[in-house]
Amino acid sequence: MIPLLDRPLVQFGLALAAVLILPLVMRSGTLASEILIYGLAVAACNLLLGYTGLLSFGQGIFFGLGSYVAGLGLVRAGLPAPVMLLLSLALGALVAAAVGWVSIRRQGVYFVMLTLAFSQMFYFLAYTFSGLTGGDNGLLDIPRPRLAGTVLSDPWTYYAFVAVLFLGLFAALQRVALSTFGRTLLAIRDNEGRAGAIGYPVRAFKVAAFAISGAVTAFAGALHAMLIGVAPLSNIDYHTSETLLIMTIVGGSANLFASLLGAGAYLLAADALSAIWPRWLLLLGLLLIVITLFLQRGLWGLIEHAVALVTRAPPPDGPAPDRPVVTDPAVAPVAEALPASDAGRAPEVAR
Amino acid sequence: MRDRRAFLKTSLTAAALGASGLPLSGILRGARAADGPLVIGAPLPISGAFAANGKYASLGAAFAAQEAGKILGRTVTVADIDTEGKPAPAARKVQEAMAQGTRLFAGGILSSEALVMGKEAAKSDGVFITTAGADEITGSDCNRGTFRWTVPTFGAIAQTVRPLIAQMPNAKRWYTITPQYVFGEGLLSAAKAVFQEKGIEHVGNSYHSLAEKEFSGYLTNAIAAKPDVLLLLNFGSQSSDALRQAVSFGLKKRMTIVLAWASGLEQFEALGADLCEGVYFGAQYWHGIDSPLNKALVTKVRETAKMTPNYSFAGSYQITKLLLDAAAKAGRADGPAVIKALEGMRYSGLTGEEEIRAADHQVIKDYYLLKGKAKSAMKDKDDFAEVIQSGKSFLSPEAAGCKMT
Amino acid sequence: MTYLFQILNGLGLGMLYFLLAVGLSIIFGLLQFVNFAHGAFYLLGAYLAYEGVERGLSFWVAMPLAALVVAGLAALTERLLLRRVYKLPHTFHILVTVGLALVVQELVIIIWGPIGGNVAPPEALSGVMILGDFVYPEYRLFVIGFTAILAAGLWWLLDRTRLGAIVRAGSESPANMALLGYDTLRINTAVFALGAGLAGLAGALAAPIRGVEPFMGVEALGIAFVVVVIGGMGSYAGALAAGILVGIAQSLMATLWPEGARLVIYLGMAGIIMAMPRGLFGRA
Repeated sequence: MIPLLDRPLVQFGLALAAVLILPLVMRSGTLASEILIYGLAVAACNLLLGYTGLLSFGQGIFFGLGSYVAGLGLVRAGLPAPVMLLLSLALGALVAAAVGWVSIRRQGVYFVMLTLAFSQMFYFLAYTFSGLTGGDNGLLDIPRPRLAGTVLSDPWTYYAFVAVLFLGLFAALQRVALSTFGRTLLAIRDNEGRAGAIGYPVRAFKVAAFAISGAVTAFAGALHAMLIGVAPLSNIDYHTSETLLIMTIVGGSANLFASLLGAGAYLLAADALSAIWPRWLLLLGLLLIVITLFLQRGLWGLIEHAVALVTRAPPPDGPAPDRPVVTDPAVAPVAEALPASDAGRAPEVAR
Repeated sequence: MRDRRAFLKTSLTAAALGASGLPLSGILRGARAADGPLVIGAPLPISGAFAANGKYASLGAAFAAQEAGKILGRTVTVADIDTEGKPAPAARKVQEAMAQGTRLFAGGILSSEALVMGKEAAKSDGVFITTAGADEITGSDCNRGTFRWTVPTFGAIAQTVRPLIAQMPNAKRWYTITPQYVFGEGLLSAAKAVFQEKGIEHVGNSYHSLAEKEFSGYLTNAIAAKPDVLLLLNFGSQSSDALRQAVSFGLKKRMTIVLAWASGLEQFEALGADLCEGVYFGAQYWHGIDSPLNKALVTKVRETAKMTPNYSFAGSYQITKLLLDAAAKAGRADGPAVIKALEGMRYSGLTGEEEIRAADHQVIKDYYLLKGKAKSAMKDKDDFAEVIQSGKSFLSPEAAGCKMT
Repeated sequence: MTYLFQILNGLGLGMLYFLLAVGLSIIFGLLQFVNFAHGAFYLLGAYLAYEGVERGLSFWVAMPLAALVVAGLAALTERLLLRRVYKLPHTFHILVTVGLALVVQELVIIIWGPIGGNVAPPEALSGVMILGDFVYPEYRLFVIGFTAILAAGLWWLLDRTRLGAIVRAGSESPANMALLGYDTLRINTAVFALGAGLAGLAGALAAPIRGVEPFMGVEALGIAFVVVVIGGMGSYAGALAAGILVGIAQSLMATLWPEGARLVIYLGMAGIIMAMPRGLFGRA
């Protein structure tokens, strides 16, 4: 049986609730839009990391690509925004399929290093072809999209536009994850050898996962460029890849809503901390260490345990998603009795 | 340093609270209410790779606000905005600040962040004034809401290369090292134009990427070309690395080294006097400038903050002060009124008489040629250089490519 | 002639890259640990050497002292933190070491300020060698020689001593080592400290060339990964060969096509992974 919190309708309901609550609690429509946009990109990253077991350092390539595609289309060619969004989806899928096709030929750390190399190479391309990308200055003057004759320049109007697209793509990603295709990805993640032996074309599935992830990430990149009016070089930088990965792990790679959680928590924390203390990155660093030690299922794991406390049901002590783990069944009832902070601790690993 | 920062901030906040008697939340909410405090947004790279600049610039802005006290009956406060040195957070946070009612911004150290913040400010009748380097800010990407204090690349080259050519008639062979992006290209093409005009032989150029930290390969190229002068056209930590490595290759003894766009006292401190001795530096500001405003500033900052204002501090102080003076002159603090007051304003600035050109919003001010002193010749710990000469050189707004919108 | 000289210069860079990368490689070989904090140890080494010289120590004292302190701090970090993480998947290795690197970088800014500083090369090596039309700083020549001696010593340590044998056997099969009664935990700590100490030493040696600034660790980490991947993870000889290769490539590119240096290096890295997945010298 699927745990309550992981049911697709519950997940979508949570996403919908988040989309509706953000305008009530946040002052800035721009930051709220950014949370949804990064939420999309992180969910796409999660499809690779959490569902397929692929740790890609190349997600920034697709994010930056989407930004540039949107910028070039809107500024240089004067194409309408919907066309550019579709085009960024298509090109994102294409480039991601190519990057994935090469990278998946190697595994483990070598796969990670390949995606890292690709990320550096695409950065170099964007930097060098400054006639196209604006180089270090970025591609400036990207307009907000126009809907029914009005430009969506008001932050909350643009937020509404982003929110609708976000929910649509979130549902689409859910469909992918729940489909036979998605289940096969999980099988590959858990035991690639066995999945191959059964007869699944493992590589084709991985490339497809890359393509879907890249398409959604590029789409998010395009939305981001329209949000801030520029396609900056930093969007295709290695640091964007790193940030997306960190958000994914912080949220938890168990399900797609966790990704929105990760993006939101990261961006809100960064925004709040950077306003108080110039050395806020120190706190971020400490946070990453704490998550590694005590919260391997991410913030989502914390919620699972909190819910388990309330409903008195045992929390889903499934393995942290990208590794096979043997858990002691005795841990779950104990966790129930503990206070929430302790209960958030991930099960001990034994192997 | 943290203490000084904390001191300035605390005294500032205390002053703001005391004078206006407003609860803290009022200050944080911004300047929506006409009788609330007047908030100047200071979007600066407070974290990230340019944190050094951001930190001093933040102090400079706070100092200007504190000095002004009240403008139009409203207490002046500075709200730091951490751009992280990246255009995306910069654009987003300026959007947010504008949504909160802030209209006046002074900041932006890096070209990429300054360009996008200028565009954001202009969209909603805001004003953004910056010390960033890119020519486009008052050139091809100029707009009604953006002003710039720093001298563009054309003037930086004219005020460093030209006087040195005049001073060293026998130095006929020049070699350049250039970062490959728009700013570097701007300096390089300006230098090439001067070389051609003066009959100088440009014996070679090495391009390098913005990520480069190792310059030995380029220096080897330069040595092979046997120049009389080595002209470094990069800035920030890259120019420090290039200079440090050039000195270690013994190039100071073989040729004259010129750093066309130095970052001021910050850079001298990082390099130390021994490296800088005998090297020429182009600079936007130097604390030894003989102008009334600068003398007053240096005295005051040394007294209250126990430091000498460096370029980041002084530049940020000056642009914040410009916004406040313009608001006082206009009698209002909304964007269009301040823009109108700034356009064509003549004033006594840190570099002497300065003027804001209305056609492209470029401040017309001096650029300086400095020469590094020997350690033994330094009068105090900050007396790293002497001003050799200074002057104003600017392209016309048309030649700079500005079509004001 | 210029090319010949660029090759010499590249050799100098390469030896430094070797020293920087070999620690990362050894750590990966024995612990299967992906260490994104390696650049932070390099950064610390450079700043500690800077601090030593500023406090009036001779560079000859400050340099090894910096490396030792870094090794000590690394041992402490390993015992208190990283030891708990080895068994987790690579994702968490990366997460915890990225966090650690951020903490170190920000602490450096808090302690030493954001501006950075200069470390003068020792008096005896502050001159230049003149070779025909070219000059080369004596300090850089010293770095080549000194690193070569270190490389030989390290080779001896890893290939000829009992510790080396244990380390090599441990990287083949940690379980067997434990069965044989070796204290693998202590060996792990020792190897991690050695690797980090070498990075610290590279930082201290680089300080008179590059100066110190808080973000120097990030660049170093990138180079170290390239060298380790090209040379083969866990391979000592590979780190040496790849370090020199990358150094020479970078130096030659400065003459041939400077803007493309980064592209060529990463293309090379991708090519090596595709053609020889275990790197030039990695075990198959």
